[in-house]
Amino acid sequence: MAARVPVVALTSGEPAGIGPELCAQLARDALSVRVVLLGDATLVAQRSQATLPAYDRAAGPRAGMEVLHLPLAAPCIAGTVDPANAPYVLALLDRAIDGCLHGEFDAMVTAPIHKGVINDAGTAFTGHTEYLAERSRSAQVVMMLVGGGLRVALATTHLALADVPRAITRAGLRAVLQVIDRDLRMRFGIARPRILVAGLNPHGGEGGHLGREEIEVIAPALADARAVGIHAEGPLPADTLFVPQRLEGADCVLAMYHDQGLPVLKYASFGRGVNVTLGLPFVRTSVDHGTALDIAGRGRADAGSLREALQLAVELTQRTALAA
Amino acid sequence: MIGEDGPRPRIGLVLGDPAGIGAELAAKLLARTQTSALAVIKVIGDARQLAAGAKLAGVTLPAVDVDDRANADPAALPLGRVSAAGGRAALENFRRALGLARDAQLDAIVFTPFNKQALRLGGMTFDDELRFAADFLAFSGPHGEFNVLDRLWNARVTSHLPLAEVAKRLSVPRIVEAIALTDSAMRAAGFPAPRLAVAALNPHAGDGGNYGREEIEIIAPAVEAARTNGIDARGPYPADTVWLRARAGRFDGVVTMYHDQGQIAIKLLGFERGVTVLGGLPIPITTPAHGTAYDIAGQGVANDAALVRAFEIGVDMGRARCSAAMRD
Repeated sequence: MAARVPVVALTSGEPAGIGPELCAQLARDALSVRVVLLGDATLVAQRSQATLPAYDRAAGPRAGMEVLHLPLAAPCIAGTVDPANAPYVLALLDRAIDGCLHGEFDAMVTAPIHKGVINDAGTAFTGHTEYLAERSRSAQVVMMLVGGGLRVALATTHLALADVPRAITRAGLRAVLQVIDRDLRMRFGIARPRILVAGLNPHGGEGGHLGREEIEVIAPALADARAVGIHAEGPLPADTLFVPQRLEGADCVLAMYHDQGLPVLKYASFGRGVNVTLGLPFVRTSVDHGTALDIAGRGRADAGSLREALQLAVELTQRTALAA
Repeated sequence: MIGEDGPRPRIGLVLGDPAGIGAELAAKLLARTQTSALAVIKVIGDARQLAAGAKLAGVTLPAVDVDDRANADPAALPLGRVSAAGGRAALENFRRALGLARDAQLDAIVFTPFNKQALRLGGMTFDDELRFAADFLAFSGPHGEFNVLDRLWNARVTSHLPLAEVAKRLSVPRIVEAIALTDSAMRAAGFPAPRLAVAALNPHAGDGGNYGREEIEIIAPAVEAARTNGIDARGPYPADTVWLRARAGRFDGVVTMYHDQGQIAIKLLGFERGVTVLGGLPIPITTPAHGTAYDIAGQGVANDAALVRAFEIGVDMGRARCSAAMRD
């Protein structure tokens, strides 16, 4: 029996940003999967000087890129965001999510969006990750970054550093570890994932002298996780955790906050990191950069991160299918 | 004291913890031909320990001035084990060097790694050697610890503090002081006008106030104040990209807001070459960032790259200091 060709939904994101041109660049790659680009077909054609075939759901399995046309709400100038197009950006996401939930698509890959303009348009929006969780009714999602041979998951994401310690709870960490463990097994095909967990404070709190969260919150959460068969080690001082000897044999690092984990990944991946959302009922990956409004529409943007994101989505889809 | 490149500063090379790789590293440093050309060196420690280090290193020591403290007989102090006697000896050597510095007989101090536990057992009541030195020198002006990797410097506004306390501790004057201290220490180390990047506190530098307002209310005004004072400081930059900019050579130093913001990056970029500088004190003090490495003590395999770099920075800072003294 011939293997089914995976179908990946690719949302082109903020129309004024580099998303549409990056997506169209991938159409020139030798694609092994069917990529359905969600966006305004005219806009994509303008930004890429290429015409892609229209998406035909009924067409048989075929590799390559097609456009699922969803119209812009207002004319768009590269580099200039317009709140009038916020509903368009959300419509791309909604269509991709619905398709993933109903089996039309196997995975979704997202180009960058502009959070500010969606909020300006009156929709409270924290980020892709939170939006996907809500729309798919997922109780616990985890943001993980992959690149440069590393996988780094975050216990907290976009909040002020002063609010981080309060946001880390024993039950929350336990749930995060369960999601990481499950998705590493199910989607990454790792039989027994080994997760290294960072401390919160300098030197891992140094036995309580530099903060007590390691003792009172993190260590008990790790004990809970181990009790249900999760291989989680820590809490480990964050400054020595990322040196290569320490990472040997580890499948993932769980960082307590955004800037504890991301700088390392950016350094290791040379700007080619991929953001993966764990805990969703489908595979979702994304670039790890923004809309780059300053260079949008000039054809100068580097599709490296998006290409990696698509590649990873395909791998995870295939592994998930094997595990099922 | 005038060498080929100006005055040769007087460097006190302090032997640290005797159970670690310190004496071996010191011997390796002394055996390098350029070492004595750069400075007038006084080794402060037990002469027997230095000889044992040379034997381990497989080097022949050049003629060197040793201020023999006769306090750490290698026959009585096993390698690889924490001891009060070892801590006492290291502390005495350090105190001796600080005393010589106070009496204007040294221009900089370089020490091989201490073991904090041994120091405590040996009678040190301060949290670290920075506070010990400041107290010994009765110095209360601005001073602090810097991490140096190759030519890139890192200073932090807060250090050994629970993460939950960091945001509360930040203030415009505190950040301005940290920037100024970094600028002056780096000028003393030979940067005519150091280019400093100041890190943000919050993810994406607060994203315009969406996740924290410290960038807007505290850090940006502090950077502005530093610039008004003639310091080439810029920022705040998001922590996940500030190190990429620095690594690309766009900055000479990074001022970070909290311990791990700098330490994670520095250790990742090259832990084995890192140097710690105690700056702002009446005398510059440098040491390798690595520890006593008990696990490889006695094998002769220790890498002296960080001590060599610590020595070079000590020479630069000591030279600036003795040049200034000669002009007075």
